[in-house]
Amino acid sequence: MNFSQFIFRRTLMVIPLLVGVVFLTFMLVRVGGLDPVGLLAGPTATAEEFDMIRKELGLDQPLWKQFLIYAGNVVQGDLGESWLSNRPVLEDISSRSLISLELLFWGIGLGTLIGVPLGLRAAFNPNGRFDQTTRVMSLLGFSIPTYWLGLVMLFVFFYLLRWAPPGMGRISLMVSPPDFITGSYLIDSLLTANWRAAHSAFAHLILPVVCLAIVSAAPIIKQTRAIALEVIASDSVRYARACGLKTKTVRDIVFRNSATPIITFVGTEITGLVGTMSLIEYVFAWGGLGQYGLNAIVRGDFTAVQGYVLTLALFSVLVFLVVDIIIAIIEPRSELT
Amino acid sequence: MPAVSPTNVRFSTRISNRLRGVSRLSPTATAGVVIILMFGILAIFSGLFMTHDPVSAYPDRILQSPSAEHWFGTDSNGMDVFSRVIYGAKFGFGIAIPAVTISVLIGVPVGLIAGYRGGILDEVLMRIFDGLRVFPSIILALAVVAATGQSLINVVLVLGFLDSPVFARLVRAEVLTLRSSIFVESAVAAGNPTWRILFLHLLPNSIQGAMAQTAVRAAWAVRISATLAFLGVGIQAPTPEWGAMIRQGAEFMVTGQWWVAIFPGIALIFLVFGLNLFGDGIQDILDPRRRVSK
Repeated sequence: MNFSQFIFRRTLMVIPLLVGVVFLTFMLVRVGGLDPVGLLAGPTATAEEFDMIRKELGLDQPLWKQFLIYAGNVVQGDLGESWLSNRPVLEDISSRSLISLELLFWGIGLGTLIGVPLGLRAAFNPNGRFDQTTRVMSLLGFSIPTYWLGLVMLFVFFYLLRWAPPGMGRISLMVSPPDFITGSYLIDSLLTANWRAAHSAFAHLILPVVCLAIVSAAPIIKQTRAIALEVIASDSVRYARACGLKTKTVRDIVFRNSATPIITFVGTEITGLVGTMSLIEYVFAWGGLGQYGLNAIVRGDFTAVQGYVLTLALFSVLVFLVVDIIIAIIEPRSELT
Repeated sequence: MPAVSPTNVRFSTRISNRLRGVSRLSPTATAGVVIILMFGILAIFSGLFMTHDPVSAYPDRILQSPSAEHWFGTDSNGMDVFSRVIYGAKFGFGIAIPAVTISVLIGVPVGLIAGYRGGILDEVLMRIFDGLRVFPSIILALAVVAATGQSLINVVLVLGFLDSPVFARLVRAEVLTLRSSIFVESAVAAGNPTWRILFLHLLPNSIQGAMAQTAVRAAWAVRISATLAFLGVGIQAPTPEWGAMIRQGAEFMVTGQWWVAIFPGIALIFLVFGLNLFGDGIQDILDPRRRVSK
């Protein structure tokens, strides 16, 4: 099978998963028997007004019909209108997605850059001092509540030291944002040589990114170590050692053989980190998709919640797909099935 | 010496073997046990340690910094932060223990049946679990609690339910390898009913991996329930729950009243860290693949 066929087949395999995801998102609201009507109508509404709103929202239809309508709308890119603001959910989500991606990109990038080398180094000398230290550090990283870490960082670097800007948005209100190229304020302002904006964007990025990096590095360290240990114990590496190859050469073999499972792990990890990112956005008032979604959950705006949860799930599916494709490219042994 | 079947080993020997297992815990895991016990004592005997009533407000002492009277200061309602932090341990255990119990009670039988029966049921369950995996667990927990009603009991039920696939997967994987083993086949041949094979023969042989996970899953439950409370979902202020307390203190972090949010956060980290240390140590002992020759 050639490569384009593989990608096509792999993409088709996602479809049942997508149907399931849409169904789960739909059920999310129905399962609670949550009634938006009371929320919308207000305390003084009459029974007729209740019925009218119910009809308007399509809630008088049987459940399976509601699902078909919902699924049909989702396929056409209609995620409905927010119960509270009456704005189209898709519009809100698409305008905020890039804002979140900027944070996610830098956060996970930095987390991987820290996590993978530490994990590898720990695996080369298991139970050594370095291993014990990184292990405790990574367990600590697992245990710190993200939002609390963000608050402590704001307290130390904004309130005490005055190094960081207040946790409000992506760029200072006094600085005009750069022209739109990629959607990332930092990259765009660097590309347009807008140093003032670049400085402000960087200053606003650093605390949330470090926060996300710390939280994402913890599982990456742990898993990289486990993966590398398994590779070191494998026959091929033991054979390489038995042949008397130099330590450096053996390590290169270990790196090469660990790459695939590590990439797979980081890919699956992104799903969980999207949730963590939402909390960081909430604390730093980042204004992205995560903050939007959490606010929707807290306020009980369930069309928006559906849209948000659906977007996160679609994003995860996309990441899994990309990971599979990357692995097919870098791993000659993997069969294209 | 001839091979001894497990049932012939004296009971006291089995107990002492188990205890020897505990003494094999690494120093970090032992530290975890100590931390968990410490919080357990705080949770059970919180009355002995609290200096004030955790929910009585002193309107004249709002947002006071730590002092001899209020060791951790007071919050925006004028409540004693120290007493509230101590009392919060009750919520940590009170949510984690029932939530993990529910996960085990749902997940283990589901894993047993799915692994043993196989076929369409197994296929459907596994696809559902795969589908759930694409949702970030914290967001799913938040959304479900928000949708199904915000009460403490609901938080426990939702966390227990959402985490049950972890146990189902582990047990299922074990059962799949045991299904065709000789002892199961002979049990079938001897005419044992299915439930007996499942719960008397397969369960004891497949549950070890799942049990090793309980401490880590308890850490997860404590963390997620606090996150829910931080967002004001499920548990509301002024309940002396750590997440809810951090929520209350959040706005004061940028105005300098750090003690309201910092102390409950530290308590939360310690309990979760202790559970993780312990869980990690247990997994090392039970999973020979993770054991590294010393």
